[in-house]
Amino acid sequence: MTTPLLEIEDLYGGVAGKEIIKGFNLTINEGEVHAIMGPNGAGKSTLSNILCGKPEYYVSSGKITFKGKDLLKMSVEERAREGLFLSMQKPVEIPGVSITPFLKHALNSIRTYRGEKEMDTVEFVKLLREEGRKLNLGSDMLKRSINVGFSGGEAKRLETLQMAILRPDLAILDEADSGVDIDAMRIIGEGVNACRTDKTGLLVITHYQRLLNYIVPDYVHVYAGGKIVKTGNKDLAEELERTGYSEFVKEQA
Amino acid sequence: MSSLLKDVNLLGDNIPWLHDFRQQGRLVFADKGIPNAKVEAWKYTKPNMFLNSDFAWVNSENKTGYKPELPFDCYKICFVNGIFAPELSDFPPETEIMPLIEAIMLHPEVRERIGKLANSEQHNFAALNAAYLNEGIYIHIAEGVKINKPVCLICHTESGGILLMNNLRNLIVLEKNAQAEIIEYYNYSGEQKSCYFNNIVNEIYLGEQAKLEHYKVQDEAFKAIHLAINSIEVKKSASYKSFCLQKGADLARNESLINLEESCAQAEVNAVYAMNGWATLDITTDIRHLAAETFSQQLVKGVVGGQAKGIFQGKIHIAPNAVKTKGYQQHRALLLSDEAEVDVKPELEIFADDVQCTHGSACGQLDAEQLFYMKSRGLDEDIAKKMLIDAYLQEVIAKVDDEKVIDWIKLVLKLPEEN
Repeated sequence: MTTPLLEIEDLYGGVAGKEIIKGFNLTINEGEVHAIMGPNGAGKSTLSNILCGKPEYYVSSGKITFKGKDLLKMSVEERAREGLFLSMQKPVEIPGVSITPFLKHALNSIRTYRGEKEMDTVEFVKLLREEGRKLNLGSDMLKRSINVGFSGGEAKRLETLQMAILRPDLAILDEADSGVDIDAMRIIGEGVNACRTDKTGLLVITHYQRLLNYIVPDYVHVYAGGKIVKTGNKDLAEELERTGYSEFVKEQA
Repeated sequence: MSSLLKDVNLLGDNIPWLHDFRQQGRLVFADKGIPNAKVEAWKYTKPNMFLNSDFAWVNSENKTGYKPELPFDCYKICFVNGIFAPELSDFPPETEIMPLIEAIMLHPEVRERIGKLANSEQHNFAALNAAYLNEGIYIHIAEGVKINKPVCLICHTESGGILLMNNLRNLIVLEKNAQAEIIEYYNYSGEQKSCYFNNIVNEIYLGEQAKLEHYKVQDEAFKAIHLAINSIEVKKSASYKSFCLQKGADLARNESLINLEESCAQAEVNAVYAMNGWATLDITTDIRHLAAETFSQQLVKGVVGGQAKGIFQGKIHIAPNAVKTKGYQQHRALLLSDEAEVDVKPELEIFADDVQCTHGSACGQLDAEQLFYMKSRGLDEDIAKKMLIDAYLQEVIAKVDDEKVIDWIKLVLKLPEEN
């Protein structure tokens, strides 16, 4: 048995002094796709922010192990270099920082950390254009500032492009489908699948079942009241689409 | 009497005008001395805290072996340790350029322009500069002449442990329709911590429809003091455009005193100050709209870390007859540490109706969300910060028209490359 990619054990934590995650457990092995579904305000994003080490989020108890290492001891950038990637729910605009040099720095930071040779500008721009084309992001877009003036769909496609360039071992997609039309959802789904290997793990956080038509989960978890309350296969997602979350919310209340 | 006034033997003191001009400066500075915090214009900058040391004027030949190098093609006018270095200089052919002292001796008519804009009575350090009037350049560009390359005034200091005081005074005259790009570059070699004092006065006259781009990079040693007064007179439909990068020095002040004298005169003042450690860097402007339909625009941005202190004092004055005038002023600063400080004093004096005049100032920190986003992609915190600072300053640097100069400014600032 190989080491799991991610192991979360009895996690408690939150933000701004409010405990939101209450006894959360999850194990993701190499190559597995897990979906976490749950109602608004359940704290799904709190979980992804804790995993990525966002400063204002805290962990009061519990353990998170990533590829056998203590994730909570790593800085934000170390987590990324170890192979963790978060496709953000609301990617921030960064005026004046253009996508191309930013992503080149990011990729080379990761390569250097892993003892690989840095990629030069020519090679990088070629790679970026190629991957951009698959996601319908033209070279004009890639010269622009990060997310500035991007539509919801464009911003989410740019997140997917970054995943394609950085090739993480575990990617968390935090509502990669919110603010995105059906065509963009398909492009994102295909884009995510294209950069997966049989070792890549995925954690898909979503309200809706639709994205899961493109990224088919091995496990579907219902998340409510700060922990997983039910686990099933992809059929559970379809069932939730029909019945909603009220049953689980009531249970918690 | 201030310790900065020493008995010195200056060239040309037998010429009555020169003797009197110096003497007047000497008397005024002896009377007023170094301003302290009680003087409103100096309340944040406090030069008296820095100028206690025994700075002295030294007449020495250039023995530093300095060779000016700039990454773009330009005419170079070099001063080394405050002394003109003809062997390092080359002049544009179609222009009258000579040491100021020579111009005073050969062309008595230039005398009436000296001390008129940067008046010894009003400016203590112009008075000190006048007391030592000896070094500096006279640039006269005749009607309709456009200089084909930038003219770069390079002031290099290698003080070698001496508390050097350099008083430079430049007189720049662009006649009607003349055009030029003039760059000032202050740098040093030797000890990073060398202590010296550059006291600069520029008097600039722009004739009708003349156009001057005036760029400055101040990259002095960590313990240097750099005070500069730029006094500019702008005639009808003429335009003055400036950019100043304040980066080095322990104490530095760049003052732009601009008189928009006649209708449709324009001035644009852009500046960046960026420092760590204990430096105090000051950008002071005083733009006087004295005629109708004049225009001014100021954009100043600062990045302040360590225990450093940034100062912006910006004044717009609109005279009663200056109708249909537009004056805009913006200041922004990024504070990178808890102990960094920025003091801001905007002043608007509006005596005319039918004008547009705005100002704004804001200080903040690097955006935590942006920083998190960049780090979450694997970037070092330092690189992420540098990229954000670069982006922040880009807006001001982009105001420079000359792209080669933009690249050079970024190089001096050590900003990461575009790709």
